[in-house]
Amino acid sequence: MRIIIPVLLFAFQLGAIVYARFVPTRYFCWAPFDTQTDYAAMAIVNGRPLTAAEFRQRYRRPRHGFDNRSPQHVIDMLRQVEEKRARLGEKASVVMEYRVNGKDPKIWRWPPSSKTETQKEN
Amino acid sequence: MMPEGPSGAEARRLVSQPSWNPLKCAGTDLPKNLAIMVKTLAIAALVVNHVRILPDPWLPFVPFFDLFPPVLFQRTLQTLFLVSAIAIVFNRRLRLFSLIIGATMLVAVVSSKAYYGNNKTFCGLMFLLAGLYKPGAPSFFRWQLAITYFGAGLNKLLDPDWQNGIFFENWAVNRLHQSWYIALDSRLPSMLLARFMCWSTIATELGIVPFLFVRQLNAIAVFSNVLFQATLCLFTGTTFTLFFYSMTACSLALVTWPEQPAPVFYDASRKLSHVARRFFKRWDLDKTFQWAPLEAKPASGSFLYVFAGRKVYSGFRAVQMLFLLNPITYFLLTAAIAAVESTPADVGALLRRIIVGGSLVLLTPPLAWVLDRFSGQGSLTSRSFPNALRERLTG
Repeated sequence: MRIIIPVLLFAFQLGAIVYARFVPTRYFCWAPFDTQTDYAAMAIVNGRPLTAAEFRQRYRRPRHGFDNRSPQHVIDMLRQVEEKRARLGEKASVVMEYRVNGKDPKIWRWPPSSKTETQKEN
Repeated sequence: MMPEGPSGAEARRLVSQPSWNPLKCAGTDLPKNLAIMVKTLAIAALVVNHVRILPDPWLPFVPFFDLFPPVLFQRTLQTLFLVSAIAIVFNRRLRLFSLIIGATMLVAVVSSKAYYGNNKTFCGLMFLLAGLYKPGAPSFFRWQLAITYFGAGLNKLLDPDWQNGIFFENWAVNRLHQSWYIALDSRLPSMLLARFMCWSTIATELGIVPFLFVRQLNAIAVFSNVLFQATLCLFTGTTFTLFFYSMTACSLALVTWPEQPAPVFYDASRKLSHVARRFFKRWDLDKTFQWAPLEAKPASGSFLYVFAGRKVYSGFRAVQMLFLLNPITYFLLTAAIAAVESTPADVGALLRRIIVGGSLVLLTPPLAWVLDRFSGQGSLTSRSFPNALRERLTG
């Protein structure tokens, strides 16, 4: 066990490094501080806009802020919260404007308004 | 004249039982370098009060964790974490409690996307690998560090924003507001400095990997790792939660620690020798060193010689080694850097830079080289030292 567990952990990490080449997320593949995402989000739940405190409680991150990994990590958190809450009957819409490494802003919306979740703003 | 300090057998007997004294490291069920590593990490985790951010299940990577009652889950993690960290600091069953705290941190990482982070994952892995330590097994720490640097370097290498410097330009200017970077950048062609910083980071991260696996280059890999992490801390003023502590502490797992008391010879006719001897003997709680006056002065005329493994250090370099081979050095540095977390951000960043920068200056070879050169101590190789003295004390 003292050999097998480390070997399995290393195999998993190497697999995650390869997997990261094909997806926008960067989980468990050792990409710390490789991307700077600054974002501003707004959420409306059952017709009422969330305050900053409510937003933080719901998504466990501030309404405006930074993330030092792939922007997909922020999107994952917002999307997965809404997927869970939708099953409880809540109706929510979220709009997040974000910039990756200071470049042109992009918009992400929930629920997705078109075939792709991410749209580039003109 | 008899050497001061315990003989090899006596020293082993004295340290055969682990002490409750948190400043001691000998006699535990881990090799001394690994004991220092896990204790350093436990001190960092306790001082920064990491236990407070251990999560309840929230958007877990493994849905199974959603089955647990959130409060019970979080309290269980916190209890295991706290008990293990305290046990490690007080030298109780280091291997077992390293395993528990490592597993606790990794469970926390996979149970919450809000808690997930590379720094926590790496720290958890360091504890876990120490807990799984098996004498004679391959050095898994070496592999873990290599995979980490390979993953980090590869991701940057294939990212266009790293290739053209956009990442660094945005990070240094818009996020960190790094004044010296902005000043230097304004005097150079556009993006030149950003590209240089990005490519030197990529080269360092990928360059360390092969060095880790070539025995002759291992010391360079260890030194590069510490220097790289220290530079990051100096540049940003942050420790990236537990990342700085874990990455630098990992270096301890890659070095060979003296198994027997390391002989230290001093020139009894020099006042400086006595000052050094009194100071270091007081803090040598693990009886790592065996002091003896020089009987025959070597040609280099240094006031101090330290034998560590197959190497001999003299003069101020020997003084540095007395610090570097003493676990208390790492405990104090870690506690000091971690204690800064509670200060306001700007003050904290400044204090961290002072501590890390000061340590780099005081504990790396250039300063000792300068001091030895200007004090006329000269340098010494093991060949130029009277072998008879070494054999009498180490044989």
